[in-house]
Amino acid sequence: MKNIFHKIGAALILSSAFFFTGCEPEFENDITVSRGELNLSKYVAVGNSLTAGFQDNGLYLEGQVYSYPNILANQFSFAGGGAFVQPYFSEAQSNGSGYIRLAGISATGSPTLAPVTTNLAVRTDAQPLPGGPRLTKFADAAKVQNWGVPGISVLSSAYNEYGNVNPYFERLLTDAEVTAKTTYIQKVVATQPTFFSLWLGNNDVLTYATSGGVAVASNPFSNMTPVAQFQAIYQQLAGGLVQGGKAKGIVMNIPDVTSVPFFTTVTQASVRRSTGNDQLVIYIRDEAAPNGARPIADGDYILLTTQANLGRQDDVTLPSGTVKIPHGFHPANPLNDNEVLDKVEVAEIKTRTSELNAIIEQTAKSANLAFFDVHAYFNNIKSGFSMSGINYSPAFITGNLFSLDGVHLTPRGYAIIANEMITRINAHYKATIPTIDVTQFRAVLIP
Amino acid sequence: MKSKFLAFLGSALLSASIATAGGYQVNLQGQKQIGMGHVGTGLVLDQSSIFFNPGALAHLRQNGIQLGVSALTSKIAYRSLSPGISEARTDNPMGTPFQAYASYGAEESPWRFGIGVYTPYGSTVNWGNYWQGRFGLNELSLQAIYIQPTVSYRISDRFGVGAGLIISTGSVNLQRSIPLQNAFGEEGHIELDGKSKTALGFNVGVYARPIDKLSLGLTYRSKVDATVEAGDVTFRIPGAAPVAAQFTATEFDATLPLPDNITLGIGFMPTERLTIGADIQRVGWGAYKALRFDFNGIVGGQDHTEAQRNYKDSYIYRLGVQYKVNEMLTVRAGGYLDKTPVRSGYLTPETPDADSRSVSGGLTLALSEKIDLDLSFSYINKKERTDLSDKSSGVPGTYKAVAYIPGLAVNYKF
Repeated sequence: MKNIFHKIGAALILSSAFFFTGCEPEFENDITVSRGELNLSKYVAVGNSLTAGFQDNGLYLEGQVYSYPNILANQFSFAGGGAFVQPYFSEAQSNGSGYIRLAGISATGSPTLAPVTTNLAVRTDAQPLPGGPRLTKFADAAKVQNWGVPGISVLSSAYNEYGNVNPYFERLLTDAEVTAKTTYIQKVVATQPTFFSLWLGNNDVLTYATSGGVAVASNPFSNMTPVAQFQAIYQQLAGGLVQGGKAKGIVMNIPDVTSVPFFTTVTQASVRRSTGNDQLVIYIRDEAAPNGARPIADGDYILLTTQANLGRQDDVTLPSGTVKIPHGFHPANPLNDNEVLDKVEVAEIKTRTSELNAIIEQTAKSANLAFFDVHAYFNNIKSGFSMSGINYSPAFITGNLFSLDGVHLTPRGYAIIANEMITRINAHYKATIPTIDVTQFRAVLIP
Repeated sequence: MKSKFLAFLGSALLSASIATAGGYQVNLQGQKQIGMGHVGTGLVLDQSSIFFNPGALAHLRQNGIQLGVSALTSKIAYRSLSPGISEARTDNPMGTPFQAYASYGAEESPWRFGIGVYTPYGSTVNWGNYWQGRFGLNELSLQAIYIQPTVSYRISDRFGVGAGLIISTGSVNLQRSIPLQNAFGEEGHIELDGKSKTALGFNVGVYARPIDKLSLGLTYRSKVDATVEAGDVTFRIPGAAPVAAQFTATEFDATLPLPDNITLGIGFMPTERLTIGADIQRVGWGAYKALRFDFNGIVGGQDHTEAQRNYKDSYIYRLGVQYKVNEMLTVRAGGYLDKTPVRSGYLTPETPDADSRSVSGGLTLALSEKIDLDLSFSYINKKERTDLSDKSSGVPGTYKAVAYIPGLAVNYKF
């Protein structure tokens, strides 16, 4: 009966539609937005460079604006989210730490990357820190909600001298806090968020991996973090953020290092293509091999940063005299240990990654937090996917996800991650926080 | 004289819109019929029988010319799938589908000869360059014009047959964004533009009036393939050599089916003044399997693109009434239900189709013995439809379309 009235009503409305409504098509339902079980009044993002909006091998204003925490906060604002303060560089210093841009691509597809060195926030009035030159301090550090600090690991988050090491952390501290040896954990726990995101741990393996599996003696954070130490610090950090259950949040784990283009772009096949020499063999240093070098094999990864050194004409002293030998193309001038992640190192890193990820997932589960398995996500998209008519993959430059450093994401990549986080937050907390149109964010700009 | 007439029609802006019918068929072929749900196959109303039923044309007592035009305003709204909240609205130009019909025969002759020029298929949709689905479509303009010389023979007062030769021509223009941004962040763009080759088809019909109060019509309009050969391909892409190497095409070929139609119509005239008509129309949309573009080079590394459409045959149900108030005024009303040919999973922004409901009204003013003026108004409301568009490379989301179409025709009888 009701149905009949509905139909009659519809017919009446239909016939009179022209007179009673505007000329616009209307949807039957309004947009649904709900915060579910969440209180989003104070969101705090805890993490490393990925959280800061680092891209193109630098932290600069554009990347900060399009950081995934800022996108999340924007979407949270539809569901009762409060203000979100990011430690922006000023307009005058909008290029922040400096970064690299794509200046050109050769006919064979080799990119030319050029540094951007103007309008930096780099300080020349103070001594550099071990982690690099100091950066202009953020004036309103007490209000910061995006605590993404490039370079930080779980291990260093508990290190009380870190304000004297990492310029990205130092710029968020007052001089007094640096002197008082305030740790990162102390700072983020003190913010007392109602909701937080925690994506930390990448650098507990990645710093080692991006150095080709070579730890630097002078840097205590350049090796892989021991499991027990990671567990203790991680649980302290997560526990501090949860505040005994007062805060809810989402926790993310560590991606597989071999799922990012920093490790997958330069291969023997790609070098053969760009040199036009399909007989070319790349040699890498291996102490176990006869003469200390062997041809590269499946499972060895050449670092993206090694590309610039390949084929460099080096003077090599042989018994017959000094000759010029292209770097990496001959057993007498193989790629160095810090230019390649060999398969033994890859295995070490993968093992450690899964050990640390087990701790992260366990921590998330026991605190009943939402969990985003980024490790699985990046492994699942290795073969690519398509969305809104755009193809995505982990390919360097052309894959649309990764920025010019091959580790960090493009603004569009960060927006996709933000949407994936929202999907999991919605599922875990019975919320309907809207996702964002990722096509409005840029990928790599092609000259 | 004839060529001048055709040139005039050719230069007129002939276009229709997506919101007018299932797929890209346009249900605006005669102003009297538009006023009563586009019913007309079983009726003898005027020279537009050249389109509606060539078999009925010979039952028109008078010779005449009819010129009509509709002013079509269609609007489509888009919303991304939940929990997405992005919305977009089309900014379609006003479409002006046009009809021209003329017939002639000696007064007592059973023969009638006619010519019709009409736009049975067309679509104009403009989503712009910013919406979420812009890599699927910015803008599409599709037009088919049929020119139909027709002959009709009145076998008796109760029976007639007719046939017309369809000469089809048309054009297509499709634009979409390419997901490559230059150093200034400007997105790439591709435009495909071409004219279709002249193609032939036919339109045949029979008309019967077994008793005075009842008439019947049956028509068949054949499928015509609109084929574009060597249409122009234009790009705007970043200048880097490896990118340019992926976009070498300058010409494209494509074929779009303009499906066949079988229509059965019935007319019931309980009194002198009242006519009730009903049509059932089957549209052979099953012919539209895929939208394929073949290139003379490559576009994004591919020498062709093919997106599945997989339409199904669909039916349109029409009902209309006409009442002759007096010698000067006739009024009409009607409506139709047009079932969509687009299957679930195949929705696209070119034709974000759904079941259409239309209501319409109209009137004819007899200004003099020789001149009539037809006015019509129709409103089309498509059902809101949500689709994953995962089988058509379309843009997933919810679509809703409406259209408002006033129309006007002048009839001159001699």
